Amino acid sequence: MHLILFLIFGAVCVAGAVNLLLQHHPIDSALSLVVVMGALAAEYLLLGAEFVAAVQVIVYAGAIMVLFVFVIMLLNAGEEARSGGSRIAWVIGVPGMLLGGILMSWVLLKHSGTGQVEVGSLPGSPQDIGWLLFHDFLLPFEVTSILVLIAIMGAVVLASHAQSAEKKEG
Amino acid sequence: MNPIQIIPHAADYVRILPELVLSVFGMIIMLIDPLLDDRRSRSLSGALALVGSLVAIIATWMQSQSPGLGFWNMVRVDSFSIFFHFLIASITAIVILMSYEYMSVQEIRGGEYYGLILFGACGMMLMSSAVELVLVFIALEISSISTYVLAGFRRRAAISAESSVKYFLLGSFATGFFLYGVALMFGATGSTTIDAIGNVLRSGHIPVLAYMAIAFMFVGLGFKVAAAPFHIWTPDVYEGAPSPVVAFMSTAPKAAVFAVLLRVLFEANAPGRIWLIWVTAALSMTLGNIGALVQDNVKRLLAYSSIAHAGYLLVAFAALPENGIPAAMFYTAAYAFTNIGAFAVVSHFGGAGERRVTMEDYAGLGKRSPLLAATLTLFLLSLIGIPMTAGFFAKFYVFSAAIKANLVGLTVIGFLNSAIAAYYYLRIIVVMYMREERDDSPVAPVPFALGMALALSLFATMYLGILPGRMLDYASSSVSDLVAPAMQTMPVQGIAQVH
Amino acid sequence: MTPHLHLWLIPLLPLAGAAINGFFGRRFSRQAVSTVALLFSGAAFAMALWVAGQFSSLTLPYIETLAPWMRAGSFQVDFAFYFDQLSLVMLMVVTGVGFLIHIYSVGYMWTEGGFYRFFTYLNLFMFFMLTLILASNYLLMFIGWEGVGLASYLLIGFFFLKDSAAAAGKKAFIVNRVGDFGFLIALFLLIKHFGSLNYADLAGSISPLHIETSAGLLTAIGILLMVGAAGKSAQIPLYVWLPDAMEGPTPVSALIHAATMVTAGVYMVSRSHVIFERAPIAMTVVAIIGTLTAFFAATIGITQTDIKKVLAYSTVSQLGYMFIGCGVGAFSAGIFHLMTHAFFKGLLFLAAGSVIHAVGGEQDMRKMGGLRTKIPWTFWTMTAGTFAIAGIPPLAGFFSKDEILWQASRVSMIYWAVGILTAFLTSFYMFRQWFMTFFGEYRGEQHGHGSHSHGSPGHDSHDNHGHGGVHESPAVMLAPLVILAILSVVGGWVGIGNRFENFLAPVFHSTATISADSFDAPSMSAEPKNEEAGKSTELLFTEISVGVGVLGFLLAWQLYYRRPELPAEIALKLNGLYHTVLHKYYVDEIYAAIIVKPLIAISTVVFWKGIDRGMIDATLDGSAEGAREVSDTMRHMQSGNIRSYAGWVAAGAACIIVFMTWMAVGTR
Repeated sequence: MHLILFLIFGAVCVAGAVNLLLQHHPIDSALSLVVVMGALAAEYLLLGAEFVAAVQVIVYAGAIMVLFVFVIMLLNAGEEARSGGSRIAWVIGVPGMLLGGILMSWVLLKHSGTGQVEVGSLPGSPQDIGWLLFHDFLLPFEVTSILVLIAIMGAVVLASHAQSAEKKEG
Repeated sequence: MNPIQIIPHAADYVRILPELVLSVFGMIIMLIDPLLDDRRSRSLSGALALVGSLVAIIATWMQSQSPGLGFWNMVRVDSFSIFFHFLIASITAIVILMSYEYMSVQEIRGGEYYGLILFGACGMMLMSSAVELVLVFIALEISSISTYVLAGFRRRAAISAESSVKYFLLGSFATGFFLYGVALMFGATGSTTIDAIGNVLRSGHIPVLAYMAIAFMFVGLGFKVAAAPFHIWTPDVYEGAPSPVVAFMSTAPKAAVFAVLLRVLFEANAPGRIWLIWVTAALSMTLGNIGALVQDNVKRLLAYSSIAHAGYLLVAFAALPENGIPAAMFYTAAYAFTNIGAFAVVSHFGGAGERRVTMEDYAGLGKRSPLLAATLTLFLLSLIGIPMTAGFFAKFYVFSAAIKANLVGLTVIGFLNSAIAAYYYLRIIVVMYMREERDDSPVAPVPFALGMALALSLFATMYLGILPGRMLDYASSSVSDLVAPAMQTMPVQGIAQVH
Repeated sequence: MTPHLHLWLIPLLPLAGAAINGFFGRRFSRQAVSTVALLFSGAAFAMALWVAGQFSSLTLPYIETLAPWMRAGSFQVDFAFYFDQLSLVMLMVVTGVGFLIHIYSVGYMWTEGGFYRFFTYLNLFMFFMLTLILASNYLLMFIGWEGVGLASYLLIGFFFLKDSAAAAGKKAFIVNRVGDFGFLIALFLLIKHFGSLNYADLAGSISPLHIETSAGLLTAIGILLMVGAAGKSAQIPLYVWLPDAMEGPTPVSALIHAATMVTAGVYMVSRSHVIFERAPIAMTVVAIIGTLTAFFAATIGITQTDIKKVLAYSTVSQLGYMFIGCGVGAFSAGIFHLMTHAFFKGLLFLAAGSVIHAVGGEQDMRKMGGLRTKIPWTFWTMTAGTFAIAGIPPLAGFFSKDEILWQASRVSMIYWAVGILTAFLTSFYMFRQWFMTFFGEYRGEQHGHGSHSHGSPGHDSHDNHGHGGVHESPAVMLAPLVILAILSVVGGWVGIGNRFENFLAPVFHSTATISADSFDAPSMSAEPKNEEAGKSTELLFTEISVGVGVLGFLLAWQLYYRRPELPAEIALKLNGLYHTVLHKYYVDEIYAAIIVKPLIAISTVVFWKGIDRGMIDATLDGSAEGAREVSDTMRHMQSGNIRSYAGWVAAGAACIIVFMTWMAVGTR
């Protein structure tokens, strides 16, 4: 039962991702992404990581996706111009991806060198995560703030460049 | 036995002291920048950034007095990390010195630029001392994102924006590989700590998954050091990015990534190291050198040359740890100082808008600016690997290490490549000295800061070329940090034992 | 009681000269520049003489350690100098001939631009060359080895506005890089297996080893060293750079490409005799390469018409002789020939320079002739050189060449036969040159009126002297000629009664004695029993070699003096062969076709036009675009090559990942 559910959500997730790529309108793509995020949250839940599942729904499917949709609507982006994709991508890329996926699953199934555990036997409770985040992984957690800072700086720099260039032009 | 330590000790902070210094200075620059006008912003934030990098060097020295682990096995200060901290801080200082002229010629505001350099350097330093893959990943992202943005700093040049976006998209793609590799490695060994991974991999059966994980991680890291077959972005990005930034991103982040690679390959005892390196090193050397043969743009030429040098350097990674690690460290430093110097000349000579970057532009430089031409010649000779320059001993140690590990084939490929390489480096020298100049517009006099940058990198290049002993000794002393670190690790709660 | 020699001063003096001229020479007068250059190279020579004077009181080998250089574990290399009989011979040759050529250059280069630059490079060359021969370990030797290559590159490309000079310099450099990699791999093998690069340590650890009857480690090292030597000393297959190197000024050809640098390979092989003696296969390789090179270069020399090219091929050929000597174990004979060759080939080049000087920059012998009476000093000195190289007794070349051929005959008659044939060819082409240059009618244009057509800018352009006609060179150029001519005559006499061999014997015999019982290369120790028979055979061989020398003279006399129309007819009859030889067996063309062109083609087609299309249209004027164009570019780019770049990265990643997985699965 568990396994069947897991597979179903997995299939939904992959289908959403493929749909994201195939859609022509950005809004449709964004909504497909919501499906992907939601399905992922369900997968986490099935693996016994309730907290991560909740965060996934709140942060990704909720906040971030809302932001995406707002931005797309504000920019009033129309349909993408399709370039059709190169033939090489279809001839080599798609079979390559499939083969890679098969190879990957084969290694994971046959040669991962790991055993099996019961669902929920690994740490995943909010307490565990809190301990990890603010103790063992305190430094990476704090350093992430610098990462976010320079990401913001980067956005500002690129935007201001475009702006100043526009000013010069006008 | 000990009660669980909940709050970091002062010692923990000492372990990240240089990084703290750099980020504090970075923030100060960001804060005062809005208060200044364009010109003052350049000079004051430049000066602050320089001071920051110098203080970081002092901080590194202080840190070196108390080596050890910090933040619950996240970072380790050892002579290996100290080496790379010094290297990255020196590169940062030199780049800041050489940026000043460029910024005023191109009318770039200083605040964000210097801030990004300092934050980027902070991430790179953290990479060299991090012994935990999640932290490595975050530090790698800091260093990468700062270089993505820096690459776009040539205002009014579409080529720069293009290079920035290209670098960003491809770089993120590659980082994804690294992250996936880390995840697979966690799956294969149950840990993200490099020591712990090493212990698992040393003890008996190695699953195929671990090989795959290493391959994935290598794709991500190989992209960052511009190793073939992930080198494709390099020429475009180097051509488009501002020259001082190219000097920076072809040296400091590479040094940091090589540090990570050394830790991952040697400390974690990565399986399949020799196969992986053999292929990529041979490919990088060959593709880089052949690609450079007919380039007309000096920046593109140096980009291909940097691919080739990544290849030479990787050769050391296939050697035995006791020779390979010092050789790789020495090569990293030698290449960094040489390359940074070469780009300093390219940057100065390029002038406003970096117009003078093709071979013809360099014609007659030997006459128009003999000192500048002579300096560039020395750097190029070092890139060729002529004795009395750093490049010679770098190659000497690397290939000597390769021979000791019986990698005869790889060594032969390397030497044939270095004979090919001489061709295109000499082309620049020949053009500079042996062609009539096309235009005789005067070369701007070298300003003081740039002169300092040139002098420092020249000094380092010659020093390492004449007296390589001390640095090699130091590098050799850090071998034990990587190959026998297990006993240094403090007992710690792995993820599975948390409660 | 060994006195302290301060050997370090010997290389450092020329370096100081180079530094002074390099930094301040631009502001110096020509007199000042030449004074500095001569002072410092002369001081090095004086120092060498002084050291030679101390020689008897030394305990050899004398090692002088200046400073530690590198210590990594047990591996240790120092800044140290090594001095023994072999070093002494080399030292005297390099400083002595070097000093003479410096003097000559003052006269020769007086009217050229870049006077100070020339002497800076020349002194720099002396520094590296002296480092090479005085080094006490292979690493320091390699520094000198690369350094002389660099100085040679600078000096070949000295007339830097000429494309051919720049190309020749580059060719020399790159071909030498190929040789160097052999040398370096040999060094790495030494480090790996013996943990040292010091001559003394290596001799200690290699001496106890047995002779390798089949190919082994020492054979590999020996052959790799020979690859390095072949690069520097212009042997097959790496000789192609030397003839092109004649683009450099003539004193440079004399000093670097005849007397000193190109002999570094011979010196290096002799210095490594401990290794070679235990690797008979490597010795055979050396001897075969030497024999082939000697012969082929001599055949090419016959057809050349450029006076310097003839000498260049002759140098290649003579270096081949030296390697024959080394290859048959007669290292001292090789060094002996090295020394006499430095005298007579240095002389020949300088005399050729004097000829070129006299006829206003012309190098084509077909446009010379009849110069005997016009430049008598040059004629007589060149005559001495020509007779010396042709092996006419009692001149220097006779003794050394004869010694090599005699030693070679004791190993294999094939070496001897080819050597004799080469000696005949040598004699022929040298006398051909002699007759073409100095006898018959003057075939060049008269100077002083008419256009200065040959003096292309910077090409030994001596047509700017202001005085027309063929003229003798100034005394400053003639004095070195005379001294070298005397040396070319008497220089071989030190070899009479095996005195030279005995002098070098401690160097070359000291290690071989340990394994002499199992070592059967006949040259290493005298064979007392067949002494009488040997003596008469030796005499016969000597007669033959003198005979072919005379034969060469007669043939040249017949063809180029008595019946000068004959050579053209012969060339016509042997058309195919003649053209093959004239074009140097098309070796340059073959190398270009199989190595250079494919590389350039790959680089151009695959990289430049294929994968690496560069920035799309982004070479637009960098200042004009505004935000719109930036965004346009980005849109274009995103749909354009960024996707293919991502595709390349993905493909590369896939290959690496599949490769690793495959290898991993394969190992279980």
